Amino acid sequence: MNQTAGYIGRRTLKSFKHILDLFAFNYRIFKLIFKRQKTGRVLIRRVILEQVYFTAVQALPLIIPVALILGSMLIIQFSRVSNQYDIGKTMVLLIIRELGPGITALLVILRSATSIAIETGYMKVFHEIDTIEMAGIDPIRMICLPRLIGITTAIICLFIIFDLVSILGGYTIIWIFTYINLGDFLGQMGKAIIPTDIIVGMVKALCFGIIITVTCLYRGFNVKKNITGLPLATSKAAIECFFYCLIINVVISIVFYM
Amino acid sequence: MKLIELSNYTLPPTGTGNGLKKFYFALSKGDMCHIQADSPDDAHLFLRAVAMLEYSKFCDYRFAGKKINFSDHTNLLPYKKKMGYVTNDAAMISNMSIRENLLLMRYYFENSFSVDIDDNVKNLCNVFEIYDKLDVRPGDLRPTELRSAIMVREFTKSPEILLLERPEDFARQTKFNFIVELVKKMSLSGVPVIFISYNADFIREFSNKEIIIAKGNLTTVKT
Repeated sequence: MNQTAGYIGRRTLKSFKHILDLFAFNYRIFKLIFKRQKTGRVLIRRVILEQVYFTAVQALPLIIPVALILGSMLIIQFSRVSNQYDIGKTMVLLIIRELGPGITALLVILRSATSIAIETGYMKVFHEIDTIEMAGIDPIRMICLPRLIGITTAIICLFIIFDLVSILGGYTIIWIFTYINLGDFLGQMGKAIIPTDIIVGMVKALCFGIIITVTCLYRGFNVKKNITGLPLATSKAAIECFFYCLIINVVISIVFYM
Repeated sequence: MKLIELSNYTLPPTGTGNGLKKFYFALSKGDMCHIQADSPDDAHLFLRAVAMLEYSKFCDYRFAGKKINFSDHTNLLPYKKKMGYVTNDAAMISNMSIRENLLLMRYYFENSFSVDIDDNVKNLCNVFEIYDKLDVRPGDLRPTELRSAIMVREFTKSPEILLLERPEDFARQTKFNFIVELVKKMSLSGVPVIFISYNADFIREFSNKEIIIAKGNLTTVKT
Protein backbone atom coordinates (compact mmCIF):
# COMPACT_ATOMS: atom_id res chain seq x y z
CA MET A 1 0.00 0.00 0.00
CA ASN A 2 2.81 2.36 0.99
CA GLN A 3 4.71 1.44 -2.16
CA THR A 4 1.68 2.20 -4.35
CA ALA A 5 1.04 5.50 -2.60
CA GLY A 6 4.71 6.37 -2.95
CA TYR A 7 4.66 5.52 -6.65
CA ILE A 8 1.57 7.64 -7.26
CA GLY A 9 3.09 10.49 -5.25
CA ARG A 10 6.37 10.37 -7.19
CA ARG A 11 4.55 10.26 -10.52
CA THR A 12 2.36 13.19 -9.52
CA LEU A 13 5.33 15.26 -8.40
CA LYS A 14 7.21 14.38 -11.60
CA SER A 15 4.27 15.40 -13.77
CA PHE A 16 3.84 18.61 -11.79
CA LYS A 17 7.54 19.43 -12.18
CA HIS A 18 7.30 18.74 -15.91
CA ILE A 19 4.38 21.14 -16.28
CA LEU A 20 6.27 23.81 -14.31
CA ASP A 21 9.35 23.25 -16.51
CA LEU A 22 7.19 23.75 -19.61
CA PHE A 23 5.83 27.02 -18.20
CA ALA A 24 9.36 28.18 -17.30
CA PHE A 25 10.60 27.32 -20.80
CA ASN A 26 7.62 29.12 -22.30
CA TYR A 27 8.39 32.17 -20.14
CA ARG A 28 12.02 32.18 -21.32
CA ILE A 29 10.94 32.22 -24.96
CA PHE A 30 8.23 34.84 -24.44
CA LYS A 31 10.65 37.07 -22.56
CA LEU A 32 12.71 37.27 -25.74
CA ILE A 33 9.75 38.58 -27.75
CA PHE A 34 9.47 41.59 -25.46
CA LYS A 35 13.25 42.13 -25.21
CA ARG A 36 13.31 43.30 -28.84
CA GLN A 37 17.04 42.78 -29.37
CA LYS A 38 18.37 44.34 -32.55
CA THR A 39 21.04 41.78 -33.39
CA GLY A 40 20.19 38.71 -35.44
CA ARG A 41 16.82 39.92 -36.66
CA VAL A 42 17.44 38.98 -40.29
CA LEU A 43 18.47 35.48 -39.30
CA ILE A 44 15.43 35.01 -37.08
CA ARG A 45 13.10 36.45 -39.72
CA ARG A 46 14.43 33.93 -42.23
CA VAL A 47 13.85 31.00 -39.87
CA ILE A 48 10.29 32.25 -39.18
CA LEU A 49 9.55 32.36 -42.92
CA GLU A 50 11.04 28.90 -43.44
CA GLN A 51 8.93 27.58 -40.58
CA VAL A 52 5.72 29.12 -41.92
CA TYR A 53 6.52 27.71 -45.37
CA PHE A 54 7.22 24.26 -43.98
CA THR A 55 4.29 24.13 -41.56
CA ALA A 56 1.60 25.98 -43.51
CA VAL A 57 2.38 26.11 -47.23
CA GLN A 58 3.79 22.60 -47.56
CA ALA A 59 0.91 21.22 -45.49
CA LEU A 60 -1.77 22.59 -47.83
CA PRO A 61 -1.89 19.50 -50.12
CA LEU A 62 -2.66 17.50 -46.99
CA ILE A 63 -5.01 19.79 -45.13
CA ILE A 64 -7.21 20.77 -48.11
CA PRO A 65 -8.33 17.21 -48.99
CA VAL A 66 -8.77 16.37 -45.29
CA ALA A 67 -10.94 19.47 -44.79
CA LEU A 68 -12.99 18.74 -47.93
CA ILE A 69 -13.60 15.13 -46.95
CA LEU A 70 -14.42 15.97 -43.33
CA GLY A 71 -16.71 18.85 -44.27
CA SER A 72 -18.68 16.78 -46.76
CA MET A 73 -18.86 13.69 -44.52
CA LEU A 74 -20.20 15.72 -41.62
CA ILE A 75 -22.85 17.33 -43.78
CA ILE A 76 -23.97 13.96 -45.15
CA GLN A 77 -24.39 12.52 -41.66
CA PHE A 78 -25.96 15.57 -40.04
CA SER A 79 -28.33 16.31 -42.89
CA ARG A 80 -29.86 12.87 -42.20
CA VAL A 81 -30.23 13.61 -38.50
CA SER A 82 -31.47 17.14 -38.81
CA ASN A 83 -33.37 16.51 -42.04
CA GLN A 84 -31.62 19.40 -43.78
CA TYR A 85 -32.77 21.78 -41.10
CA ASP A 86 -30.14 24.05 -39.55
CA ILE A 87 -27.28 22.58 -41.58
CA GLY A 88 -25.44 25.91 -41.49
CA LYS A 89 -25.67 25.97 -37.70
CA THR A 90 -24.35 22.41 -37.50
CA MET A 91 -21.38 23.38 -39.66
CA VAL A 92 -20.58 26.32 -37.40
CA LEU A 93 -20.91 24.24 -34.24
CA LEU A 94 -18.80 21.40 -35.47
CA ILE A 95 -16.22 22.89 -37.75
CA ILE A 96 -15.49 26.40 -36.60
CA ARG A 97 -15.82 25.74 -32.89
CA GLU A 98 -14.36 22.28 -32.46
CA LEU A 99 -13.07 20.35 -35.44
CA GLY A 100 -11.23 23.15 -37.24
CA PRO A 101 -8.68 23.93 -34.55
CA GLY A 102 -8.55 20.30 -33.39
CA ILE A 103 -7.85 18.69 -36.75
CA THR A 104 -5.44 21.48 -37.72
CA ALA A 105 -3.51 20.93 -34.49
CA LEU A 106 -3.45 17.18 -35.04
CA LEU A 107 -2.08 17.55 -38.58
CA VAL A 108 0.55 20.03 -37.39
CA ILE A 109 1.56 17.66 -34.59
CA LEU A 110 1.92 14.77 -37.04
CA ARG A 111 3.78 16.78 -39.65
CA SER A 112 5.76 19.60 -38.07
CA ALA A 113 5.87 19.14 -34.32
CA THR A 114 7.56 15.76 -34.52
CA SER A 115 10.11 17.16 -36.95
CA ILE A 116 10.90 20.03 -34.55
CA ALA A 117 11.48 17.58 -31.71
CA ILE A 118 13.75 15.52 -33.98
CA GLU A 119 15.63 18.56 -35.31
CA THR A 120 16.33 20.07 -31.89
CA GLY A 121 17.15 16.67 -30.39
CA TYR A 122 19.59 16.04 -33.24
CA MET A 123 21.14 19.46 -32.70
CA LYS A 124 21.55 18.70 -29.01
CA VAL A 125 23.06 15.25 -29.50
CA PHE A 126 25.51 16.39 -32.17
CA HIS A 127 26.58 19.50 -30.22
CA GLU A 128 25.14 21.97 -32.72
CA ILE A 129 23.52 23.86 -29.84
CA ASP A 130 26.96 24.13 -28.19
CA THR A 131 28.26 25.46 -31.51
CA ILE A 132 25.60 28.17 -31.56
CA GLU A 133 26.48 29.13 -27.99
CA MET A 134 30.20 29.22 -28.79
CA ALA A 135 29.36 31.71 -31.53
CA GLY A 136 27.92 33.95 -28.82
CA ILE A 137 24.36 33.41 -30.02
CA ASP A 138 21.52 32.51 -27.68
CA PRO A 139 20.15 29.16 -28.95
CA ILE A 140 16.73 29.91 -27.46
CA ARG A 141 16.55 33.08 -29.52
CA MET A 142 17.86 31.45 -32.68
CA ILE A 143 16.06 28.10 -32.51
CA CYS A 144 13.01 28.44 -30.25
CA LEU A 145 11.72 31.97 -30.85
CA PRO A 146 11.35 31.74 -34.66
CA ARG A 147 9.76 28.31 -34.41
CA LEU A 148 7.26 29.52 -31.83
CA ILE A 149 6.25 32.49 -33.97
CA GLY A 150 6.35 30.51 -37.22
CA ILE A 151 4.31 27.52 -36.06
CA THR A 152 1.74 29.60 -34.20
CA THR A 153 1.23 31.79 -37.26
CA ALA A 154 1.03 28.71 -39.47
CA ILE A 155 -1.59 27.05 -37.26
CA ILE A 156 -3.78 30.17 -37.31
CA CYS A 157 -3.52 30.34 -41.13
CA LEU A 158 -4.21 26.62 -41.50
CA PHE A 159 -7.20 26.88 -39.18
CA ILE A 160 -8.74 29.59 -41.36
CA ILE A 161 -8.06 27.57 -44.52
CA PHE A 162 -9.45 24.41 -42.94
CA ASP A 163 -12.69 26.16 -41.98
CA LEU A 164 -13.18 27.74 -45.39
CA VAL A 165 -12.41 24.55 -47.30
CA SER A 166 -14.54 22.28 -45.13
CA ILE A 167 -17.48 24.68 -45.42
CA LEU A 168 -16.93 24.70 -49.18
CA GLY A 169 -16.78 20.88 -49.17
CA GLY A 170 -19.96 20.77 -47.13
CA TYR A 171 -21.72 23.09 -49.52
CA THR A 172 -20.61 20.99 -52.51
CA ILE A 173 -22.37 18.00 -51.03
CA ILE A 174 -25.47 20.05 -50.28
CA TRP A 175 -25.44 21.37 -53.85
CA ILE A 176 -25.27 17.82 -55.25
CA PHE A 177 -27.85 16.13 -53.04
CA THR A 178 -30.27 18.84 -51.96
CA TYR A 179 -32.02 21.91 -53.28
CA ILE A 180 -30.63 24.35 -50.73
CA ASN A 181 -28.92 27.19 -52.60
CA LEU A 182 -25.67 28.84 -51.57
CA GLY A 183 -27.44 31.97 -50.38
CA ASP A 184 -29.68 30.02 -47.98
CA PHE A 185 -26.76 27.95 -46.74
CA LEU A 186 -24.59 31.00 -46.11
CA GLY A 187 -27.58 32.77 -44.59
CA GLN A 188 -28.05 29.92 -42.13
CA MET A 189 -24.38 30.06 -41.29
CA GLY A 190 -24.45 33.83 -40.93
CA LYS A 191 -27.31 33.56 -38.44
CA ALA A 192 -25.62 30.79 -36.51
CA ILE A 193 -22.16 32.27 -36.26
CA ILE A 194 -21.40 34.77 -33.50
CA PRO A 195 -18.20 36.81 -32.99
CA THR A 196 -17.32 34.54 -30.07
CA ASP A 197 -17.01 31.60 -32.48
CA ILE A 198 -14.35 33.37 -34.49
CA ILE A 199 -12.54 34.54 -31.34
CA VAL A 200 -12.68 31.06 -29.80
CA GLY A 201 -11.28 29.49 -32.95
CA MET A 202 -8.42 31.98 -33.04
CA VAL A 203 -7.69 31.63 -29.32
CA LYS A 204 -7.63 27.85 -29.67
CA ALA A 205 -5.32 28.00 -32.68
CA LEU A 206 -3.02 30.41 -30.83
CA CYS A 207 -2.90 28.26 -27.70
CA PHE A 208 -2.36 25.08 -29.72
CA GLY A 209 0.51 26.73 -31.60
CA ILE A 210 2.22 27.74 -28.37
CA ILE A 211 1.65 24.40 -26.65
CA ILE A 212 2.80 22.31 -29.60
CA THR A 213 5.96 24.33 -30.21
CA VAL A 214 7.01 24.66 -26.58
CA THR A 215 6.41 20.99 -25.78
CA CYS A 216 8.33 19.75 -28.82
CA LEU A 217 11.23 22.15 -28.31
CA TYR A 218 11.42 21.24 -24.64
CA ARG A 219 11.49 17.52 -25.44
CA GLY A 220 14.10 18.10 -28.14
CA PHE A 221 16.33 20.17 -25.84
CA ASN A 222 16.07 17.51 -23.15
CA VAL A 223 17.49 14.68 -25.22
CA LYS A 224 20.61 13.49 -23.42
CA LYS A 225 23.86 12.81 -25.23
CA ASN A 226 22.52 9.70 -26.89
CA ILE A 227 20.87 9.37 -30.27
CA THR A 228 18.63 6.53 -29.00
CA GLY A 229 16.84 9.07 -26.80
CA LEU A 230 15.61 10.86 -29.90
CA PRO A 231 12.74 8.53 -31.00
CA LEU A 232 11.55 8.31 -27.40
CA ALA A 233 11.54 12.11 -27.02
CA THR A 234 9.72 12.52 -30.34
CA SER A 235 6.95 10.07 -29.48
CA LYS A 236 6.57 11.60 -26.00
CA ALA A 237 6.40 15.08 -27.55
CA ALA A 238 3.68 14.05 -30.03
CA ILE A 239 1.51 12.31 -27.43
CA GLU A 240 1.93 15.13 -24.93
CA CYS A 241 1.07 17.80 -27.51
CA PHE A 242 -2.11 15.97 -28.48
CA PHE A 243 -3.13 15.50 -24.86
CA TYR A 244 -2.48 19.14 -23.91
CA CYS A 245 -4.37 20.34 -26.99
CA LEU A 246 -7.41 18.27 -25.98
CA ILE A 247 -7.32 19.70 -22.46
CA ILE A 248 -6.93 23.28 -23.70
CA ASN A 249 -9.75 22.69 -26.18
CA VAL A 250 -12.10 21.65 -23.39
CA VAL A 251 -10.99 24.48 -21.09
CA ILE A 252 -11.49 27.16 -23.76
CA SER A 253 -14.89 25.74 -24.75
CA ILE A 254 -15.98 25.77 -21.11
CA VAL A 255 -14.72 29.32 -20.57
CA PHE A 256 -16.48 30.73 -23.63
CA TYR A 257 -19.66 28.67 -23.94
CA MET A 258 -20.69 27.58 -20.45
CA MET B 1 46.93 39.64 -15.00
CA LYS B 2 45.16 36.31 -15.32
CA LEU B 3 42.89 36.04 -18.34
CA ILE B 4 40.82 33.25 -16.86
CA GLU B 5 40.69 31.66 -13.44
CA LEU B 6 38.70 28.56 -12.57
CA SER B 7 38.32 27.53 -8.94
CA ASN B 8 36.15 25.21 -6.87
CA TYR B 9 35.41 23.14 -9.94
CA THR B 10 34.21 19.58 -9.40
CA LEU B 11 32.80 17.84 -12.42
CA PRO B 12 31.22 14.38 -12.63
CA PRO B 13 32.85 11.79 -14.91
CA THR B 14 31.88 11.40 -18.55
CA GLY B 15 32.53 8.28 -20.62
CA THR B 16 35.43 6.31 -19.21
CA GLY B 17 36.92 9.24 -17.28
CA ASN B 18 37.20 9.90 -13.56
CA GLY B 19 35.69 13.36 -13.69
CA LEU B 20 37.50 16.34 -12.23
CA LYS B 21 37.99 16.79 -8.50
CA LYS B 22 38.02 20.25 -6.96
CA PHE B 23 40.73 22.15 -8.84
CA TYR B 24 42.18 25.58 -9.47
CA PHE B 25 43.41 26.67 -12.87
CA ALA B 26 44.62 30.02 -14.16
CA LEU B 27 45.54 31.06 -17.67
CA SER B 28 47.45 34.18 -18.65
CA LYS B 29 48.23 35.76 -22.01
CA GLY B 30 50.97 33.87 -23.85
CA ASP B 31 50.34 30.58 -22.00
CA MET B 32 50.54 27.51 -24.20
CA CYS B 33 49.17 24.66 -22.11
CA HIS B 34 49.41 21.05 -23.11
CA ILE B 35 47.01 18.69 -21.36
CA GLN B 36 48.30 15.32 -20.33
CA ALA B 37 45.61 13.10 -18.82
CA ASP B 38 45.26 9.45 -17.91
CA SER B 39 41.85 9.53 -19.55
CA PRO B 40 41.09 11.41 -22.79
CA ASP B 41 37.54 11.99 -21.49
CA ASP B 42 38.90 13.97 -18.52
CA ALA B 43 41.08 16.08 -20.81
CA HIS B 44 38.06 16.77 -23.00
CA LEU B 45 35.94 17.54 -19.93
CA PHE B 46 38.51 20.10 -18.85
CA LEU B 47 38.38 21.81 -22.27
CA ARG B 48 34.58 21.93 -22.00
CA ALA B 49 34.89 23.46 -18.53
CA VAL B 50 37.21 26.17 -19.85
CA ALA B 51 34.73 26.78 -22.68
CA MET B 52 31.95 27.17 -20.04
CA LEU B 53 30.06 24.24 -21.56
CA GLU B 54 30.36 22.33 -18.28
CA TYR B 55 30.09 23.86 -14.84
CA SER B 56 29.02 22.93 -11.37
CA LYS B 57 26.83 24.63 -8.82
CA PHE B 58 29.54 26.15 -6.64
CA CYS B 59 32.23 26.76 -9.23
CA ASP B 60 33.95 30.09 -9.61
CA TYR B 61 34.98 31.28 -13.08
CA ARG B 62 36.65 34.63 -13.60
CA PHE B 63 37.24 36.07 -17.03
CA ALA B 64 39.69 39.00 -16.98
CA GLY B 65 39.02 39.30 -13.26
CA LYS B 66 35.25 39.46 -13.66
CA LYS B 67 33.24 36.75 -11.96
CA ILE B 68 30.93 34.90 -14.32
CA ASN B 69 27.35 34.45 -13.22
CA PHE B 70 26.22 30.99 -14.30
CA SER B 71 22.59 31.50 -13.26
CA ASP B 72 21.59 32.60 -16.77
CA HIS B 73 23.10 31.04 -19.89
CA THR B 74 22.93 34.37 -21.74
CA ASN B 75 25.54 35.80 -19.32
CA LEU B 76 28.06 33.33 -20.72
CA LEU B 77 27.56 34.11 -24.41
CA PRO B 78 29.85 37.19 -24.67
CA TYR B 79 32.70 35.13 -23.16
CA LYS B 80 32.05 32.00 -25.20
CA LYS B 81 32.20 34.15 -28.31
CA LYS B 82 35.79 35.01 -27.44
CA MET B 83 36.93 31.39 -27.46
CA GLY B 84 38.06 29.32 -30.41
CA TYR B 85 36.75 25.83 -29.76
CA VAL B 86 38.39 23.28 -32.05
CA THR B 87 37.57 19.97 -30.41
CA ASN B 88 36.14 16.59 -31.30
CA ASP B 89 32.64 17.70 -30.38
CA ALA B 90 32.79 21.01 -32.26
CA ALA B 91 30.17 20.86 -34.98
CA MET B 92 28.71 22.64 -37.97
CA ILE B 93 25.01 23.44 -38.10
CA SER B 94 23.64 20.78 -40.38
CA ASN B 95 20.78 22.72 -41.97
CA MET B 96 23.05 25.53 -43.18
CA SER B 97 25.66 25.49 -45.92
CA ILE B 98 29.36 25.69 -45.07
CA ARG B 99 29.39 29.32 -46.23
CA GLU B 100 26.46 30.16 -43.94
CA ASN B 101 28.18 28.35 -41.08
CA LEU B 102 31.34 30.38 -41.61
CA LEU B 103 29.30 33.57 -41.75
CA LEU B 104 26.87 32.75 -38.95
CA MET B 105 28.37 35.16 -36.42
CA ARG B 106 28.55 37.98 -38.94
CA TYR B 107 24.97 37.35 -40.12
CA TYR B 108 23.83 37.54 -36.52
CA PHE B 109 25.90 40.39 -35.13
CA GLU B 110 26.00 42.55 -38.26
CA ASN B 111 22.30 41.76 -38.79
CA SER B 112 22.66 41.39 -42.54
CA PHE B 113 22.73 38.68 -45.18
CA SER B 114 24.68 40.82 -47.61
CA VAL B 115 28.04 40.06 -45.97
CA ASP B 116 30.39 37.64 -47.66
CA ILE B 117 33.43 35.74 -46.47
CA ASP B 118 36.56 37.88 -46.34
CA ASP B 119 39.89 37.22 -48.04
CA ASN B 120 41.50 35.66 -45.00
CA VAL B 121 38.74 33.04 -44.77
CA LYS B 122 38.87 32.50 -48.54
CA ASN B 123 42.61 31.85 -48.35
CA LEU B 124 42.23 29.36 -45.54
CA CYS B 125 39.41 27.60 -47.39
CA ASN B 126 41.70 27.34 -50.40
CA VAL B 127 44.55 26.01 -48.30
CA PHE B 128 42.37 23.31 -46.76
CA GLU B 129 40.71 22.58 -50.12
CA ILE B 130 37.14 23.34 -49.07
CA TYR B 131 36.63 26.49 -51.14
CA ASP B 132 34.65 24.70 -53.87
CA LYS B 133 32.44 23.09 -51.20
CA LEU B 134 31.30 26.27 -49.50
CA ASP B 135 27.76 25.98 -50.82
CA VAL B 136 27.08 22.42 -49.75
CA ARG B 137 25.68 21.25 -46.44
CA PRO B 138 28.03 19.78 -43.81
CA GLY B 139 26.55 16.33 -44.39
CA ASP B 140 27.97 16.32 -47.93
CA LEU B 141 31.57 16.84 -46.78
CA ARG B 142 34.12 14.19 -45.94
CA PRO B 143 34.99 14.04 -42.20
CA THR B 144 38.43 15.63 -42.74
CA GLU B 145 36.92 18.45 -44.82
CA LEU B 146 34.30 19.03 -42.17
CA ARG B 147 36.95 19.28 -39.45
CA SER B 148 38.97 21.66 -41.61
CA ALA B 149 35.88 23.84 -42.05
CA ILE B 150 35.33 23.87 -38.28
CA MET B 151 38.95 24.88 -37.78
CA VAL B 152 38.72 27.68 -40.34
CA ARG B 153 35.58 28.99 -38.64
CA GLU B 154 37.13 28.98 -35.17
CA PHE B 155 40.51 30.41 -36.17
CA THR B 156 38.96 33.23 -38.12
CA LYS B 157 36.66 34.40 -35.36
CA SER B 158 39.71 36.14 -33.78
CA PRO B 159 39.55 34.28 -30.48
CA GLU B 160 41.09 35.52 -27.24
CA ILE B 161 41.61 31.94 -26.07
CA LEU B 162 42.12 28.92 -28.29
CA LEU B 163 41.09 25.43 -27.21
CA LEU B 164 42.51 22.71 -29.42
CA GLU B 165 41.87 19.00 -29.23
CA ARG B 166 44.12 16.82 -31.37
CA PRO B 167 44.85 19.41 -34.06
CA GLU B 168 46.56 16.66 -36.07
CA ASP B 169 43.08 15.21 -36.75
CA PHE B 170 41.73 18.45 -38.18
CA ALA B 171 43.50 18.36 -41.51
CA ARG B 172 45.17 15.92 -43.82
CA GLN B 173 48.77 15.00 -42.98
CA THR B 174 50.07 17.20 -45.78
CA LYS B 175 48.16 20.22 -44.46
CA PHE B 176 49.17 19.88 -40.82
CA ASN B 177 51.99 22.40 -41.33
CA PHE B 178 49.39 25.08 -42.03
CA ILE B 179 47.75 24.39 -38.67
CA VAL B 180 51.14 24.67 -37.00
CA GLU B 181 51.64 28.03 -38.75
CA LEU B 182 48.22 29.26 -37.62
CA VAL B 183 48.86 28.25 -34.00
CA LYS B 184 52.29 29.90 -34.19
CA LYS B 185 50.69 33.15 -35.39
CA MET B 186 48.21 32.97 -32.52
CA SER B 187 50.91 32.35 -29.94
CA LEU B 188 53.01 35.23 -31.28
CA SER B 189 50.06 37.56 -30.89
CA GLY B 190 49.77 36.46 -27.25
CA VAL B 191 46.59 34.38 -27.57
CA PRO B 192 46.75 31.65 -24.91
CA VAL B 193 46.22 28.12 -26.21
CA ILE B 194 45.15 25.02 -24.31
CA PHE B 195 45.65 21.89 -26.34
CA ILE B 196 45.53 18.14 -26.31
CA SER B 197 47.87 16.54 -28.82
CA TYR B 198 49.66 13.26 -29.40
CA ASN B 199 52.07 14.82 -31.87
CA ALA B 200 55.43 15.05 -30.04
CA ASP B 201 56.80 17.78 -32.36
CA PHE B 202 53.71 19.92 -31.88
CA ILE B 203 53.92 19.57 -28.08
CA ARG B 204 57.65 20.34 -28.07
CA GLU B 205 57.20 23.39 -30.26
CA PHE B 206 54.35 25.01 -28.38
CA SER B 207 54.00 23.77 -24.82
CA ASN B 208 55.25 26.12 -22.08
CA LYS B 209 52.93 24.79 -19.40
CA GLU B 210 51.78 21.26 -18.68
CA ILE B 211 48.34 20.45 -17.27
CA ILE B 212 48.41 17.01 -15.70
CA ILE B 213 45.15 15.25 -14.92
CA ALA B 214 45.66 12.02 -12.98
CA LYS B 215 42.71 10.18 -11.46
CA GLY B 216 40.66 13.34 -11.61
CA ASN B 217 43.26 15.55 -9.89
CA LEU B 218 44.48 18.49 -11.89
CA THR B 219 47.90 20.07 -11.45
CA THR B 220 49.74 22.64 -13.56
CA VAL B 221 53.49 22.49 -14.14
CA LYS B 222 55.68 25.02 -15.99
CA THR B 223 57.92 23.46 -18.62
